[in-house]
Amino acid sequence: MTRRVAIIGTSAIPVGRHQTADDAALQTLEHEIMTRLVVEAVRDAGVDKKDIQSLVFTLPRPYTRQKYFHTFLMGQLRLACRGNVMEVMGNGMTAALAFDQACNDILLGRANVALALGINMESAVSAAEHMMSSMRTTGDVDFHTSAGFTPIAWYAMDAMRYMHEHGATREQLGAVAVKNRHHASLNPLAQFRKPVTLADVVAQRPIVEPLGLYDVPPRGDGAACLVLASEEVAKSLGRPYVLVRGRGFCHDGSHQISDVPNDMIAFDSVRQASATAYEEAGIGPDQIDLAELYAPCTIVEVLVSEAIGLVPRGQGARAAFDGETRLGGRIPISTSGGLTSRGHPAYVTSLYNYLELAEQLRGRAGDRQVQGARFGVATGELGNYNAAMVHVLEAMQ
Amino acid sequence: MTLPVLNVDAARSYPPRISEFTKTFWDALGQGRWITTRCKCCDRQTFPPKPVCPHCWSTEVEWSELSPCGTLYSWTRIHAAPAVFSSEAPYAVGIVDLDSGIRLACRLVESEAIPLQVNMPVEMVVLHHRDGPLFAARAAT
Repeated sequence: MTRRVAIIGTSAIPVGRHQTADDAALQTLEHEIMTRLVVEAVRDAGVDKKDIQSLVFTLPRPYTRQKYFHTFLMGQLRLACRGNVMEVMGNGMTAALAFDQACNDILLGRANVALALGINMESAVSAAEHMMSSMRTTGDVDFHTSAGFTPIAWYAMDAMRYMHEHGATREQLGAVAVKNRHHASLNPLAQFRKPVTLADVVAQRPIVEPLGLYDVPPRGDGAACLVLASEEVAKSLGRPYVLVRGRGFCHDGSHQISDVPNDMIAFDSVRQASATAYEEAGIGPDQIDLAELYAPCTIVEVLVSEAIGLVPRGQGARAAFDGETRLGGRIPISTSGGLTSRGHPAYVTSLYNYLELAEQLRGRAGDRQVQGARFGVATGELGNYNAAMVHVLEAMQ
Repeated sequence: MTLPVLNVDAARSYPPRISEFTKTFWDALGQGRWITTRCKCCDRQTFPPKPVCPHCWSTEVEWSELSPCGTLYSWTRIHAAPAVFSSEAPYAVGIVDLDSGIRLACRLVESEAIPLQVNMPVEMVVLHHRDGPLFAARAAT
């Protein structure tokens, strides 16, 4: 029988401000957070230390003083492995890659239990300073950065184009932020939990027009650990688990912008990656019960919801405005609160998305539980969705 | 044909690096000439200029003229800017589809008379900074 991968344990700290300033008398140390999270997740899974044979870490931010963090942590935990121990990096896709690589180690038979984990600390560095680095990640550092482009400026241009093509309104986009804040109000791991109104969203100062403060991701710190296992191990534990049913990846061969004019807001990479994942899972998008999307801005959630077939093309913003994507709606999206309210500790963001699906599909999501949820989908990306990673997950009781 | 040149009484906030290869582009831009590479094998232009054709991977490329006019595919105005650009904020940037079939992203020069709009006709201009040129687009005149 073909090996399959399950999520059997999770842990995370609430997204928020954890990083300390360089001159603080008492410092927050990343490895102290991470070792506690590993122990918590492994207890949640019900496996032993010796069962763990692979660990795939997300690359820490450059602000983390301890270098070679992954192998340092192996020493802190005296964890000996014969599978793989590595740090992965792929811009916004970093945590999705960590998860996917941990799946690979199990599918290859290198490990029966693997961890996908990491920490992202950046909140003590000002946005203007942080952007000095992030502006070099999206686009051509000589031909684009020199003009002043920032990562979310590209999403803002998606929004401007989308509003032009589909007649979507500022209020319809803002409805995504209101909906996600409502979801976050029900999530103890979320960074911003106080409900907001559409009037609040529209009244915020512009960040990258037409997007205002509540349409774009807050900056925050986070850390999470997922325990993955072969289905055989998962079954033997005798409790609910979440099966990885389909995976898909696509890079569209461009970095941020294609110099051959294309339909920029079609997000073709995630359309293709989701088609691959749905096919492997043997289901269609109509069978998905909830989605955790890597969507740094309100517009991105709209475009991805369309590209992966949850909402018809051009209808994503209207669907959000009409409540279709809200908890209790036709297809709940970002039940965690999404990147705009749950928070966006970028290099570990997708770990939080898988964690939310794992909570939902194990029936542990409390007040935000999607009743009877069976199939969930998660996306990861880099650039302006120039590359996308999609996972379809299924609840197993 | 040369691009309009606008003088900017400041150094570039984040100047591009220049290689032996891209020096041809930046030197030409400084003289108002708007060029990029074209592949001698498949005849396709690419932008930014590249020493290897991204389409057919030929290394036989030559310099060729770009269209000075196009349409604005999309745009935004950046209010939250990186530290080096903070004195310029807010500033507009956009994506331009040149009439010759190349898509690019650049700074936009705004005018009070013609507000920025998706699909508006635009023309490329040279921003002649104290320390060197940058390319930008503005509403077609």
